[in-house]
Amino acid sequence: MFSKDGKLEKFKDAETIIGASVKVKGNFQGQGNIIVEGTLEGSLKTKANLFVGDKAKVVANIEVHDAIINGMVSGNIKTRGCLSIGSSAKIMGDIQCAEISIDKGASINGQLLMTSDEDKKIVKEEKKETAK
Amino acid sequence: MNVYIYDDYLNKSRYTKALNRMEIRLTDLGLSGKIIRLSTIKNIRGSIQNEIKLGAKNIVAVGNNQTINKIIGAIIDTDVYGDFQKNTLLGIIPIGDDNTIANSFGIKNEEDACNILLARRVEKIDIGLIGKHYFLNQATIESSGTKVEIDKYSLEVEERGEVKIINLLSDPQEEIKSNPHDGLLDIYIKTRKKDETYLTADKIKISNLKHKLLIDGVVEIETPVEIGIMKNKLNTIVGRDRVFE
Repeated sequence: MFSKDGKLEKFKDAETIIGASVKVKGNFQGQGNIIVEGTLEGSLKTKANLFVGDKAKVVANIEVHDAIINGMVSGNIKTRGCLSIGSSAKIMGDIQCAEISIDKGASINGQLLMTSDEDKKIVKEEKKETAK
Repeated sequence: MNVYIYDDYLNKSRYTKALNRMEIRLTDLGLSGKIIRLSTIKNIRGSIQNEIKLGAKNIVAVGNNQTINKIIGAIIDTDVYGDFQKNTLLGIIPIGDDNTIANSFGIKNEEDACNILLARRVEKIDIGLIGKHYFLNQATIESSGTKVEIDKYSLEVEERGEVKIINLLSDPQEEIKSNPHDGLLDIYIKTRKKDETYLTADKIKISNLKHKLLIDGVVEIETPVEIGIMKNKLNTIVGRDRVFE
């Protein structure tokens, strides 16, 4: 999912892109990859992946598969797969994920809960099925 | 039988040459048919509906986006729509300016259009619906102050730019994808700061207190309005170089 420059590999395949000048309010639910560069208030859910840009402001509970967070998130983050937190990220909320990477400079205020090995197996099986 | 609907602006002398060229080409290809001039009839809808009832094989809009809009208005959601869906195709011969719909269909000019009519490559495409107005390409509005409501969330834009509600693209250079068969509207926002927003929905509500919504570059309407889509509603004749799959 992740390329070397930290962007979504399938950027062009993103189902939804929220630009920097746009403010989204409400419960946002999608099936595909989501890119947020603007402001989002409410909740955000997708079966696919999320990319939050460094200027983005997200005040919402997030539930996605994999996520890259570079901006500000105020709310709980739950990923079924990998969570990658960039150096410019500021997170105020609890985190629940199967795998995590945190860059130097990132700020996190909240509890971190790693999902069990059992859950990881389920995620890996899901990935295998997707690859098939 | 082919029925050619000539828009009233084609009466101007500057279009005479193009019309002559088109008519000669149609005769050469054996595609001659009945001509209805919108300038000479009062009841446009009635006349078009009557031709469909009489079994017209192709209804061909000769003109621009506005001509196509008038014809679609006479066909969709009327008692002749069943006959149209079963027997008739919509063709386009673009003459003059404002022909983005023809461009979307891969039709470059009047001569090209005649060849495309002969080839009869048929596509069923979606139609956008805004109140009593229909659109094939897109509806646009100034982005500053625009609110777009979709399902359980809304989008607000402060920067100046443009909001496009797209059924099918008119410009193949655009980077966004648009599919007029998917039953979805593409919402594309581009501001002067060059940031882009893109998402899809089947039903939206759009409002802007200061600016009007422009439908297919032809009709301007006040907001708030609801915009929906009707899937595979129109049988059209398209060119090989159309901008959609």
